[in-house]
Amino acid sequence: MTVAIVLLTLFGSAWLLAVIEGWTVTGRLQPAAPLLSGLAHLGRESIVPRSPDRVFFEAAPVLLLVVAVLGAAVLPLAPDLVIADLGTGALFINAALAYVLVALIMAGWGPNGAYAMIGGWRFLGQLIAYSMLIVMPITAVAMRAESLVNTAIVGSQADLWNIVYQPLGFVLFYIAAMALAFRSPFDLPTAEGELAGGVDAEYTGVRLAVLRLARLTLVVTLAAATTVFYLGGWHGPLLPPWAWSLIKTLAVAVSMLLAGGYLPRIREADLMRWCWTLGIPLALLNIVIVGLLILVVP
Amino acid sequence: MGAQAFFLAVFGLAAIGFGVAVFRTSSMVRSALALLFSQTAVGCMFLVMQTEFLGVLQIMMMATEMSIMAIFMVMFMMDPGGLGGMDMTHQKRFSIGAGVVAAGAAIAVALLADWGPVTVQAPAAAMQTRELGHELLGRSMLIFETAGVTILTAMIAATAVAIPVQRLADNGDKEVSE
Repeated sequence: MTVAIVLLTLFGSAWLLAVIEGWTVTGRLQPAAPLLSGLAHLGRESIVPRSPDRVFFEAAPVLLLVVAVLGAAVLPLAPDLVIADLGTGALFINAALAYVLVALIMAGWGPNGAYAMIGGWRFLGQLIAYSMLIVMPITAVAMRAESLVNTAIVGSQADLWNIVYQPLGFVLFYIAAMALAFRSPFDLPTAEGELAGGVDAEYTGVRLAVLRLARLTLVVTLAAATTVFYLGGWHGPLLPPWAWSLIKTLAVAVSMLLAGGYLPRIREADLMRWCWTLGIPLALLNIVIVGLLILVVP
Repeated sequence: MGAQAFFLAVFGLAAIGFGVAVFRTSSMVRSALALLFSQTAVGCMFLVMQTEFLGVLQIMMMATEMSIMAIFMVMFMMDPGGLGGMDMTHQKRFSIGAGVVAAGAAIAVALLADWGPVTVQAPAAAMQTRELGHELLGRSMLIFETAGVTILTAMIAATAVAIPVQRLADNGDKEVSE
């Protein structure tokens, strides 16, 4: 039952995101458009490029979808509404989302196309840039909760949300999450203008539909992670816990979607330089500040 | 117990199967990712054996490590896609002999070693993480810190060796425009 509710929430949110994305692009609110577009993809020919690495080509979209769902499986919507409340939940999200890289490398290498391959390997560079900014802020979050259990992390924010307690960590995690979800301005692996779609370029039909669903689900999973780690999870007045989790997750996901629309795409070298020369020192500073706060403030 | 043994066997066979796949393909990326999934299966074996932290850590670390290895193999091998039909095997007799001896030794150790009493009930996952933390920052701190610093030194040294010597006129900070 919990599994069904979480999956429904995840894919429902992904659908809502697609509607909002369409709204910002076309200016028309069309609730049925993502479903119709998905159905249309099912009806279209799903082209297989010449001499592909067939295993990678077929597995990549499915793997991307699976890891996005696995990441969401350890995130609580409410105190008792979580698929698996693992003892290492905060670490497990990293483990699951590390396979986004594997999926994109497979999607890049599989089709035997230059643009796709460049896109796939580009994401490896992107991971070298963002990954420390995912792990280090989570470390500070776990330090405050004194636990890697995600429900305990939400519990530790009952009085004060982490976005207030460690705002620096929130900013770093939010930016890194956008880079992990390869949304604009960090859409280097797909890069419409320069790579003609990159890892998306060779996918058509049903495979493209799965890939698009996976990308939207990934955004929702990362927004849910931001909610759990920084926005107090299910805590909030009046409404039931699950409603607060849902509202916060959707708000974060929409903010990620909209923020990217107003920013130019960042260069790979600049992303790497800023992450390593500015981001990682700030993330270490965040850990020190949180450590001092824990020791000094009772 | 029965289910545990079954899944342990399944993931163990998967680890061996992917391990064999590493050497059955000429594509460097396939080879690297087969090794990745072999290691992921080992991580799943840890999970089945109720060592959650080690399992999750293994699954997480291997994804990035093997992907980085894949790009290095693509960079350095002559036929990274394996489409050129190039045979990259050599010293076959010696390899087979070494493989058989190593496998025999591993099986002998597994069967003959005294593994001590089996723990009936593993501690809860959170307790394991806590005890691992105390171990890493207590008794074993010196060993792990030494190993960590040694690996870091080797990485910096390898990078330094790999960077070509630049002329004095070059401005190392300025990026060459693409």
